[in-house]
Amino acid sequence: MTTATTLPTGAEARGAAPIKLQPFLLQVLLIANSVLMLYPILVMVFSAFKDTGQIYDSPFSVPDFTNLVNFGKIITQTNFVTYLVNSFIVTGSAILLILTFGSMAAYGLARYQFRGNTILFLFFLSGLMVPLKLAIIPLFIQFKNLGILDTRLSLILLYTAMGLPSTIFIMTGFIRTLPQELEDAARIDGASELRIMTSIMLPLTRPAMIIAAIHNAVPTWNDFFFPLVFIQTDARKTLPQGLTTFMGEFNTDWGALFAGLTLSALPIVVVYIVLSRQFIAGMTSGALK
Amino acid sequence: MDRQFPSLHRLRRTAWIAFLVAPALIIMVTFVVVPIISALAFSLYDWRGLARGAFVGLENFRQVLFQEPFAGWTRNAFKHNVIVFVTIMVVQNATGFLLAYALFKEPFGYKFHRVSVFLPVVLSTVIVGFLWKLFLHPLFGLVNQVLVGVGLESLALPWLGDSRTALWALIFANAWHFVGFPTLIYLAGMQRISQDHIDAARLEGAGEWNMIRYVIWPLVAPSTTIIFVLTFIGSFNWFELPFIMAGLDGSPFGSTDVLGLYFYRTAFGNQSAGVQDFGKGSALAVLIFLVIVTVAALWTIYLRKREVEL
Amino acid sequence: MRKARLLAAATVAGSVIATTPGIAADLTFWSWRQEDKSVYEELIADFQKTNPDTNITFEAFEPQNYQTILSTALAGGTGPDIIHVRAYGNLETVAAPGYLRPLGDDVDLTGFSPLAIAAETMREDGQLYAVPFASQTLVIYYNADIFAENNLTPPETWDEFLATSQSLLDAGVTPLANGTQTAWQNEILVGALVPSFYGAAFEEDLVAGTATFEDERFVGALGKLLEITDYLPRGFTGIDYPSAQQLFLSGRAAMFAGGSWEIANFRNQNPDLNFDIMPSPAPAAGEPRLVSTFFDGGYAVNAASENAEAALEFLRFTTTTDFGNKLAAKLSNISAVPGVKFEDPLLAKIAEFNQTSASYLMLVHFRYEEPSGSVLLQQGVQRMMAGEATPEEVGKEVTEGIATYHAPFQQ
Repeated sequence: MTTATTLPTGAEARGAAPIKLQPFLLQVLLIANSVLMLYPILVMVFSAFKDTGQIYDSPFSVPDFTNLVNFGKIITQTNFVTYLVNSFIVTGSAILLILTFGSMAAYGLARYQFRGNTILFLFFLSGLMVPLKLAIIPLFIQFKNLGILDTRLSLILLYTAMGLPSTIFIMTGFIRTLPQELEDAARIDGASELRIMTSIMLPLTRPAMIIAAIHNAVPTWNDFFFPLVFIQTDARKTLPQGLTTFMGEFNTDWGALFAGLTLSALPIVVVYIVLSRQFIAGMTSGALK
Repeated sequence: MDRQFPSLHRLRRTAWIAFLVAPALIIMVTFVVVPIISALAFSLYDWRGLARGAFVGLENFRQVLFQEPFAGWTRNAFKHNVIVFVTIMVVQNATGFLLAYALFKEPFGYKFHRVSVFLPVVLSTVIVGFLWKLFLHPLFGLVNQVLVGVGLESLALPWLGDSRTALWALIFANAWHFVGFPTLIYLAGMQRISQDHIDAARLEGAGEWNMIRYVIWPLVAPSTTIIFVLTFIGSFNWFELPFIMAGLDGSPFGSTDVLGLYFYRTAFGNQSAGVQDFGKGSALAVLIFLVIVTVAALWTIYLRKREVEL
Repeated sequence: MRKARLLAAATVAGSVIATTPGIAADLTFWSWRQEDKSVYEELIADFQKTNPDTNITFEAFEPQNYQTILSTALAGGTGPDIIHVRAYGNLETVAAPGYLRPLGDDVDLTGFSPLAIAAETMREDGQLYAVPFASQTLVIYYNADIFAENNLTPPETWDEFLATSQSLLDAGVTPLANGTQTAWQNEILVGALVPSFYGAAFEEDLVAGTATFEDERFVGALGKLLEITDYLPRGFTGIDYPSAQQLFLSGRAAMFAGGSWEIANFRNQNPDLNFDIMPSPAPAAGEPRLVSTFFDGGYAVNAASENAEAALEFLRFTTTTDFGNKLAAKLSNISAVPGVKFEDPLLAKIAEFNQTSASYLMLVHFRYEEPSGSVLLQQGVQRMMAGEATPEEVGKEVTEGIATYHAPFQQ
């Protein structure tokens, strides 16, 4: 497996550094990367407390954090709060539907053998790769026929459709690993299929549900393309779409722009920092198995 | 299967399974299958704005593939998608691998670094695009202010305005946004390598490079297949970032144009085009779709094979 | 609703419009003029004085996506009752599929300029689809305070323009705020700075089919733009439209090539900015100084509107001088309504400039089919300004692109 090396290590203890230089380089790499990742975000936040002149003339200085003028502009002169509420409504409802319908379907596929099971699973799986953006006009006509154009419901249903494949993929895999004995025992006790599913099996899938929820919540929360075309009424716009509106309005006021970006980034960044482990697991799932 | 069960039971079982699967199936058919098939059909018609005209067969495809200047624009956009894909595949993912390895060694503060490398991934592309557009501003942007500050004034270029740098600037912003993704996928792959394996290699006296080359890489390589597919889909679907940072025209003069922008511009028109052509737009959509689906289908087959192996 | 239909029918049947006791209807009115919302609401209130039962909700969308939003809504059979439409090719995009109601004799446009009416008429059927609302003129804005501080007077000829720019540069001021990163800004540069070089005769030949964009008058005019690259901001290829506005607004640049729609915006954003306007420089002293003009758009009625009569009533209101005067006074628009008085000195100046004008070429003549002249010219000039194409190459490229559908260019 390994070939002879010119640099004998002699390391016995696990984790001990074989060569002094490498841990140092790796440390430098990580620190450099973290600076590159965080510094722009820090500048964004700092700039939100400055006026446009200060941003131009002293971009690196630490601002006066009591200067909330820019935030005031964003809150009072734009519909930021409305956009935020809409994003919560749309993302929350979509995740609820995704988890409900996704786990139902996954349960059906994982626990029962029936004709077409594999085909159906593959059908759902193929949804993972469909670039739905390309079907934007037919979707528009579809929503019009259903009478839900320019409503938050149209987005909720669309995001549900987009989230189901990954959820079914994640949940099916997980439900398959649950022991058959539990189910058999309950069946012998005379429990109905519905009861077996809701009170015995599904509670066990909570870790997978959290992963599936985060996996879909982040892209749903961040989506910009579909609201761009489907939502016309300002009061129904979601945050990323609303952001483009006020980026246009304040295009010469950099302080307000950075405040808008900061406020828009804030909710998800806070949740991420609190739940980073679950976020990482959720967002990389599907790519891991 | 359950042939010994009485038919009533079988009926109930069928109804139960149908109840479980139907909602997901109905939603997928209504909002994915039907629209996609309609998009294919739309590409075969002549359109005036968004009103459907006569059936024209493959005429729209002929125009976007063979008639100048449309064909030239298609080639140009496609070329950029390929560049984006290859660069991201090589640079973003190689950096990700390196960072993953650094994190895997669990040096001081690695938990902090793990959180920070993934932080941009959770941000909306709209935020990332605007942020970097402001930072790359030729006069007041952070990047050039830093360069001037350290005496590299000659390097303070109009990054998004120069045809030689614009696409690379977009790719950089994309890498900043997403490098955490492959990093953590590789990291997860490395963490599943058994410690015995690593210890054994160490006892054999493997150096750092050989450790990566002969122990770690072969075991995390399967993750690369998935990253390949996701990168591929992402690259050929690229729209939001160039839309925000370079505009619908792929400024300057098409040097950042990609198929996603070209499709959107053709289908919906922009101020300067004055024309909306849903026929050609749909034809472009179908072409992008075919490229992606071919690769995605291969992946599905691969996954299926792996499922069988497991 | 039913009452509205009956009344509408009665009106159509020939009752006298002026005595129509208002039509009970709730209308929606879509526009891309986000910044004009409050004035439009005021105008709607004026309308309601004589039509108290008609409610109109004004909704404005982001300009870049307006066309998409509108077309998709119309294609879906929805959309507003009253539509703020653009002119020329963009108008045809929504008129050709039958989404707009032909105005016919429903609205009287006597006295409107024939160019204005042509802008809102579809070439194919010769029908008028919208009441033209305003024209736009491309001019050069200059910061009067900066000029005064440097003892400069507004240049009249191209050579003076270059000399003035050089003096500004020597004084440490960026002469021109414009950049080329936003594609359509390149077309603005052509229309605002060099129309006096290609001239009105070139446009006539172009329309007659006897000249192409390879004509030396046009190529020569493009070549003039190369003489100003030193006077644009450092890194101008990366300066987008908002940045250019900002440079001028903040007094960091002395001049700005732009359209008359900037006036209201500039005043709004920086009330202290002391700016004035001038037409494009003349090639030589005594020669005419042209401006490029075009009609911006108009008000149309959705063919599918259930409140067509109420909507038409509003359109009739937009043809009144009261409406036009307010549009001019409050939004600094060059109203298309005949007889409007321009009290504002800048608007009065523009009205005067318009006496010596050429069309904003590509928008007026070549934005009907793909590839549009605008797209070709914008890309070409963007490339030329970056030093990657010659004026001759740009002229050739534009001509060849348009030749794919324009017979007179196919030789």
